[in-house]
Amino acid sequence: MILPDLASQIVYGRVGWAIVAATVACAVWRGAAPMRRATLAAILAGALALMALPGNLSPAWYLGLAFQYPSGLLVGCCVLRLTERWNGLPRSRAMPQALAGLLAGAGLLLYLDALGVLTSGYYYAGFGGVVAPLAAIVLAVTCVLAILLTHSRGHAAAVLGAVALFSVLRLPTGNLWDALLDPLLFGWALVALLAGARRRAARRTAGRVPAHDGEPVPGAALQPLAAEHFTSLKEQVGGQ
Amino acid sequence: MENPAITRPPRHHAILFGCLLLAVLVIAAEALRWRAAHRATAAAGAVPSLTTSNPGRVTLTELSRAHIPAPLGMPSAHASTLAPLPGNRMLAFWWAGSRESGPDVKVFASTWANGAWSAPSMVVSRDTLGAELGFGVRRIGNPVAWTDRAGRIHLYVVATGLGGWAAARIAHLVSQDQGRHFHVRRILPTSPLFNTSALVRTAPLPLSDGGWWLPVYFEIGNKYPMLMAFDADGNPTMLTRIGNSTSSLQPALVAVSKHEVRAVMRDDSDQQLVQHAASRDGGATWQDLPALDLPNYSTSVAAIRLTSGQFLMLHNHVEGGASARSILRLSISDDMRTWRTIADIARGPAGDEFSYPSMAQVGNELHITYTWQRQAIAHHRYRIQPEGTS
Repeated sequence: MILPDLASQIVYGRVGWAIVAATVACAVWRGAAPMRRATLAAILAGALALMALPGNLSPAWYLGLAFQYPSGLLVGCCVLRLTERWNGLPRSRAMPQALAGLLAGAGLLLYLDALGVLTSGYYYAGFGGVVAPLAAIVLAVTCVLAILLTHSRGHAAAVLGAVALFSVLRLPTGNLWDALLDPLLFGWALVALLAGARRRAARRTAGRVPAHDGEPVPGAALQPLAAEHFTSLKEQVGGQ
Repeated sequence: MENPAITRPPRHHAILFGCLLLAVLVIAAEALRWRAAHRATAAAGAVPSLTTSNPGRVTLTELSRAHIPAPLGMPSAHASTLAPLPGNRMLAFWWAGSRESGPDVKVFASTWANGAWSAPSMVVSRDTLGAELGFGVRRIGNPVAWTDRAGRIHLYVVATGLGGWAAARIAHLVSQDQGRHFHVRRILPTSPLFNTSALVRTAPLPLSDGGWWLPVYFEIGNKYPMLMAFDADGNPTMLTRIGNSTSSLQPALVAVSKHEVRAVMRDDSDQQLVQHAASRDGGATWQDLPALDLPNYSTSVAAIRLTSGQFLMLHNHVEGGASARSILRLSISDDMRTWRTIADIARGPAGDEFSYPSMAQVGNELHITYTWQRQAIAHHRYRIQPEGTS
C-alpha cells in the first residue's frame, strides 16, 4: 500500500477538475454542436485558471469537498471528448457501450462491496502489493496492444494514462480502483448505457433491424488497418 | 515502392512511441516498488505487541477525578482520546464547539504533566484543515491520537465532505514536537464512494515492528468495522474489514496473544449487546463471535490489555431506569469473554450522558477520560496494584 503525497494530489486535483469542468461546460453550452478551436482552448484555459485560484475562491475547493479527486480514467475520457471537439467530430465516442458496460458492472460490484452488502473486499485489493500492480501492468500492455492494433485507440490511451498515473505517481489515492473508476464516471457509464438502450428500442419500434449496437461508425482516423485498401496495390506493384 | 495510403505520419509514430514509453514506465515503476516492498516484507513480520510485567490480577484505587479545562465559549465537548508522552506525561484531544457538527467545532489538546492539565490549545479546525488539504471541510468530528516509537504524535480526525457524518473522511496529521504543531499528512483513502463515510473513534493497537492498527468504521446505511495498518513511519500498509457484520461499529482492538486479536464493538442492531470479533492470523481475516453478555444501546466502548495481562473495558451499562448512556461502567476480564464489574465510573439519572470513553495505562496508573454531559471531558486516575498488595 503506497500512497501519493498530498502536494501531488493537490496539483492533480486542480488539473483533473479543470479538464472535467471544461468538458462539462462545453457539453452544457453547446451540447453536441461543433465549437471553434479557439473557444475550446479558451474554456480549458479558463477552467485551469479558475481551479488555480487560492482557497475557497477555487471551484476545486468545493469539488474536492464533495467528490475529493476525479479518477484518472474520468479525466482521460474527458480529454478524449475535448479532443473529439477539437477535431470537429460531431458525435461523441468517449463512452462507447462496451466501456460503459464494463464500468457499470465493475462499479456495481465495487459499490455494493463498499456499502457492506457484499464482503469481498474488492476495494482493499486495489491497494494490494501484488494483484493491483500486476493488474496495472496487464492493463498497460493490453492498452499498448490495442493502440498498435488500432482498436479503440482513444479509449486505450485514456486507460493507459490512468494506469500510468497510478503506477508512476500512485495518483489519485494509491488505489487502482480510484484510478479507473469513480461515482461520476459510473454515472456517465449508466447514462450512456441507458441512452444506448433507448436508441436500440427506438430502432426496434421503427421496425428497423439494428446493424450494430448503436455505436456510431468510426471515422477515418480510427479505421482498423484491415479495412484499408492496400493489398491490391501491393500485388500490382509486386507483379511488375 | 511504398503505398502512400499506409504511410503513417510522424505524429502517429510519436504517439505510438509515447504509449510504449508509458507502458515501460508502468512496468519499471511497479517492478521497482515490488522489489522495495519485498525487501521490507522480508525484514518485518508485524504482530500485535504484548507488554507484560507482573502478570496476575490487579486492583484499582482511585487517585483523582477532575474535568479537563474547557476552551472559553465552547459549551459542547465530546470524543476524547489519549496519547502518552515520555516522562509519564500525556496528551488529551477532544472536539469542542457550540454544538456537535457546528461550523466552529475544533479539536483541542491539553497536556497532563505533574498531576495537572494545561490550558487547552486549538489543534485543528475546518479552516486550518481545508487550507492544508486544498479543498473544503464541512465539519470536524472525533479525534484519535497515537504516539509512535520515535515520539511523533499521529492525530486522526474525522472531517466531513458534503453531507453529515455519512460523508466523513479521515485526516491524518502528524506532530514532530509532542503536540505543539501538527501538519496534515493526507486524507486516508478508505472507500471508493468519493472516499466518504469512514470515521475513527477508538484507540490504535501497537504492533511489534513499531507500527499500529487504526480502528476505522463505515456508516452509510450499513455499519461495519475496519482496520487500517500503519508501519513504524506512519505509512498505511493495509486496509481490511473486521468480520461480516453490518450493524457493528467503533471497534476497540485488544491483543489476546501475538496472533490473536479481539474487537469489541458498539452495536447498532436490535440485539443491543457489545459485539465481538476475532482474528487469529495477524488481522488479515476476522470472524464474528457471539456478542458479549453486556448491554450496548449503540454506545462507544473502550478496551485495553493491562501490562498484567488482564483486560479492561469501559462501557455504558443499562439497568433499572437507566438510559443508554447514563451509567459508565469499568469491567475487568481474564479472557475477554467473562467480565466482572470493577466500578461505575459515572452514574446519573436517565437522560444523563457519560459516554465515549478512552483509557490508557501510563506507568502504574490508569487514566480514563470520557464525555461528561456533552459539556466537558472528565478525567479519572487510578493506581494499578497487584492484587493483595496495598
